[in-house]
Amino acid sequence: MNTLPLLLYAAAGVAYAIHFARRDSAVGRAATTLLLFGALVHTFVIGMQTMEVRHLPFANFSRAVSSFVWLLTLSYLYLELTTDERSMGVFILPVIIGLQLIPVLHPGVERADPVLDSPWFWVHVSSLLFAYASFALAGVLGVTYMLQFKEIKKKHLGYFYTRLPSLQILDIMNSRAVTVGWVFLTFGVIVGAIWTAQARGIAPDDPNLRAMSIDDPKIFVALLTWGVYSFAVFARRTLGWTGRRAAWLSSVGFAFAMVNFLAINYFVTTSHTFY
Amino acid sequence: MHLFLLGVSHRTAPVDLRERLDFSSRDLSAAAGAIASRPAMTEAVVLSTCNRSELYVATTDPASAREELVSFISEYHHVSTPTFQPHLFALENSAAVAHLFRVAAGLDSLVVGEPQILGQVKEAYQTSATKRCVGPVLSNVFRWSFGVGKRVRTETALGEGAVSVSYAAVALARKIFGRLTGRRVVVVGAGEISSLTAQHLRAQGVGEIVITSRTHAHAEELAAVVGGLAVPWDGMTNALGSADIVITATGSQRPIITRTQLEAAQGHRRGTPLFIIDIAVPRDVDPAVGEIEQVFLYNIDDLHIIVEENLSRRAAEVERAESIVNDEVTKFMAWQRSRSAVPTVVALRQRFESIRRSELQRLEGKLGALPPEARARVDEVTRLIVEKLLLEPTEQLKALPDEETQAAYTEAVNRLFRLQDEDASEPSKRP
Repeated sequence: MNTLPLLLYAAAGVAYAIHFARRDSAVGRAATTLLLFGALVHTFVIGMQTMEVRHLPFANFSRAVSSFVWLLTLSYLYLELTTDERSMGVFILPVIIGLQLIPVLHPGVERADPVLDSPWFWVHVSSLLFAYASFALAGVLGVTYMLQFKEIKKKHLGYFYTRLPSLQILDIMNSRAVTVGWVFLTFGVIVGAIWTAQARGIAPDDPNLRAMSIDDPKIFVALLTWGVYSFAVFARRTLGWTGRRAAWLSSVGFAFAMVNFLAINYFVTTSHTFY
Repeated sequence: MHLFLLGVSHRTAPVDLRERLDFSSRDLSAAAGAIASRPAMTEAVVLSTCNRSELYVATTDPASAREELVSFISEYHHVSTPTFQPHLFALENSAAVAHLFRVAAGLDSLVVGEPQILGQVKEAYQTSATKRCVGPVLSNVFRWSFGVGKRVRTETALGEGAVSVSYAAVALARKIFGRLTGRRVVVVGAGEISSLTAQHLRAQGVGEIVITSRTHAHAEELAAVVGGLAVPWDGMTNALGSADIVITATGSQRPIITRTQLEAAQGHRRGTPLFIIDIAVPRDVDPAVGEIEQVFLYNIDDLHIIVEENLSRRAAEVERAESIVNDEVTKFMAWQRSRSAVPTVVALRQRFESIRRSELQRLEGKLGALPPEARARVDEVTRLIVEKLLLEPTEQLKALPDEETQAAYTEAVNRLFRLQDEDASEPSKRP
């Protein structure tokens, strides 16, 4: 079910790359159209799975990744369509395609667990996935900012100079993405804590719930990520950490977020093993 | 009918002569009308810019058209013939087509790839068209040239990148700030390049432009030109505090902006980018200023390097643009030949069709007995035979490689089939 969106994303990725290299606006429009189709089909897939399990398909690792990809694609499309700036596509599509490979290669079955049957849980997961999607955008914007910054600062106006939007626009978009992501991350973490407290009342012996503490790598890295982004938001407003420093922070933050979302989820977490 | 071109350009005539032969300051359409009403010429377009004055005409006799144009120029501009005669260039038919295409593509411009010329070509054509001075010859070649200009712009990078120091500075500012609306500019020291750059920035919609100079009168002069505000010399540091873009161009022997001074001035607005364009030689801004995180410092050499790079990038595109122009000239000439074959093809078809009809009529007595379907079949079959016989000759006539061959073939076909009709009126639609 996740294969068709993947193929459309891959085709869009190729089109974005050609558009970036040749600066051909017709190819650029084709890329956006392909991505829109991909997102549409993906929406259908997510919708089907939601009807099947009666909530958004989050309670399984590969389905959660698929939902994340879907949110990321929608966020990116929002960014592209509101700014009319296509050159980010070539940077964000590899993330989309790479992550979408996971649900295609390891399709999973949703686990029905009474502990998870709480609105708090779904709000917790969807806010965090949305936060990660925003951070992914911010991370990519940060990387492109640094590429552009380097060329202008070093006076080597080259490949990226002619293709990327201005520093100011990249910085503003980065700032928005980080702020939106931080709000959702904060909210998601708080809701998660509330849910844990509630669920402990229902199922005191659940091993997952017993492991919910700062000692769990997943929770620890999540709080670390929160720290990085909180600092980014704070430093921009009070220390004047805009531009390159902000770009760097958002890239580092995204690295933490991805380590947490992919690697830790897969190997070392003790509390978030609901699949 | 021939296409004939007579003119002067920056390649053939010095600027003072071009100025004397300039048509653009006076009524262009009147000039075009005056030319087209002369006996040897039926159509005329006058293309006049600061780099060229070119007269495109349709004529049956290029030699007398040339004479008439020369005397027209002399009368119109009150310039004696020997003054400009040696600087004229004249081109006919495919050479004139190629020239117009190169002009429209920006290949013949003083600054290769400059964007204005295509608009000027269009305007020249429109002016003549509204005066009804263009017919099939000029309207076809001019309208084709617009497509060539557009194709060269979209398929090559001929017009890309700033090719003057002041434009390069503005392009950089746009890459740093995006839209320049409302940005604050400080100009330190008034000079030619700083004035030009400030004017380009003004055109981009920047906010306040503050100008300061050791000689306050200079600052006021420039302020009047760009619509800025002149402030006294000791107000400079203060002005720097809120600047987004700084242009320095003083004659000072020592740097007038140092790192500590700037950091102090900009202290309260950390994090906002500052773009400094140091045009002065020796430099006005201490190179250490460029090490501040959000400061982008460019001196005159840096800008020259950018301009050089852009120029060489454009030069690298010239070859591709030329091959597009050649390609289009070939296509246009082939299209014209195929159009001039049309009368012969039409006459040939009419001849065949009349033979078919007369033969059918002759057999009317025998065919009359047949049922209607069978008669329809006979009609259909004969029509198809004629179509098939004519298919290959038609294609061949339309695709002949040059005019001489075409004349020979047309002549042969006319004789072989005794075609009466020679010069039917040319159809005006493109295929």
